[in-house]
Amino acid sequence: MKVGVQINERELELEVATNSTLIDLLREDLGLRGTVEGCGVGVCGSCTVLVDGRPVSSCLVLAADVDGRVVTTIEGLGRNGALDPVQEAFLEHQAFQCGYCTAGMIMAVKGLLAENPRPSAAEAKDYLSGNICRCGTYEEVLGAVATAAASSDGGGD
Amino acid sequence: MQPFELLQPRTLEDALDRLADDEEARPLAGGTALVVLMKHALLRPERLVNLKRIPALQGIDWSSETGLRIGALTTIREVEQHQAVRTWFPALAEACHVVANVRIRNLATLGGNLAHADYQSDPPAMLIALGARVRIRSVSGEREEPLETFLVSGYQTTLEPGELVTDILVPPPTAGRRMQYLKFTTRSAEDRPCVGVAVSLGLEGTACRDLRVVVGAVSSTPVRVAEGEELATGKVLTPDLIDEIAGRAASAVDPIGDVRGSPEYKRRLVQVLVRRSLLGSVTEVSA
Repeated sequence: MKVGVQINERELELEVATNSTLIDLLREDLGLRGTVEGCGVGVCGSCTVLVDGRPVSSCLVLAADVDGRVVTTIEGLGRNGALDPVQEAFLEHQAFQCGYCTAGMIMAVKGLLAENPRPSAAEAKDYLSGNICRCGTYEEVLGAVATAAASSDGGGD
Repeated sequence: MQPFELLQPRTLEDALDRLADDEEARPLAGGTALVVLMKHALLRPERLVNLKRIPALQGIDWSSETGLRIGALTTIREVEQHQAVRTWFPALAEACHVVANVRIRNLATLGGNLAHADYQSDPPAMLIALGARVRIRSVSGEREEPLETFLVSGYQTTLEPGELVTDILVPPPTAGRRMQYLKFTTRSAEDRPCVGVAVSLGLEGTACRDLRVVVGAVSSTPVRVAEGEELATGKVLTPDLIDEIAGRAASAVDPIGDVRGSPEYKRRLVQVLVRRSLLGSVTEVSA
């Protein structure tokens, strides 16, 4: 079936199978391999992308359901060759070890800061509790959130 | 996932016609349960009726006369963040906030949650404590039913083929009503509940006018602690009385042992959590 969708600021008209999920569309049809699948059932968070600015598990979204939506993946962050402030903060804090959860974690943090530009540590923990890091870099991730929140100009203080 | 036909009705009438035409067709709401079941080939529907593009199933309305109407396709996250829900039903906002993780709450819908009838879930117990009803439509008409009787057993409801939950209705709370949802997880913060306890308490002065205590996630459906509720009526909820009600709650449940706890463990937790939530409810400052 036909799907009209904006992905990383590109307007696309795509033909998708009904049984194709959003992560299939991203990785297989568009070659956007930054989004990775972990559990495939919405528990781990590694496939997190933003749909209309809100984080979702791309393994559970039917490709047909992004018709008319705006999708942002890890490849859509950053401008003119510069990394996004959240990516910079993850590098600064070394908020990863093996890196498998990182793209999903960063997209979840983007969702968090869009809703709540100055989250408390408790709010950040609560929001990110469904993004699982096998290497246990949670403290570094929370540090990166604080740095990214402080560096963003959206906070107004 | 095996291939399937995806129908995309734009009106409720069209969706109901499609479901009436083919009893094997499955309604698709948020997909967080159905897509997983299909990925694991536990369900192999040949036709899905996608409900996401039907405006009549969306949205939340509040009125102090009639209460809340939540469209069945409203996401759990929308319920959790809605101002009227937060103001008038803070415990319902909490019971939605603690569902899974934010990605699932952005997809999963309240109607889908109830119709799926997974016993390990948070919103159903709280909604029963608040006296919620479900509105159900089919091509042959409309009916309403208390959520308490709608949920028959694990994954079983009173829905007949061709019927669809269209709205969840919550009556307005009486003045100063206290309510609480307490979730206990045994594995990780965002896990499904091992036990969930929902309390709704109406007061007359310092005495209990009416009380609902509902234990979720422990038996195949949420369990109302009717004996405990009756004990409380007309009395001040002293620590001794609360202990007695908590004991009745522990006897009322028929716990299912699973990876989140043995039946004995869950029974004990029910006692502790009912006690804790009632103590919390009587000491909380009235709204």
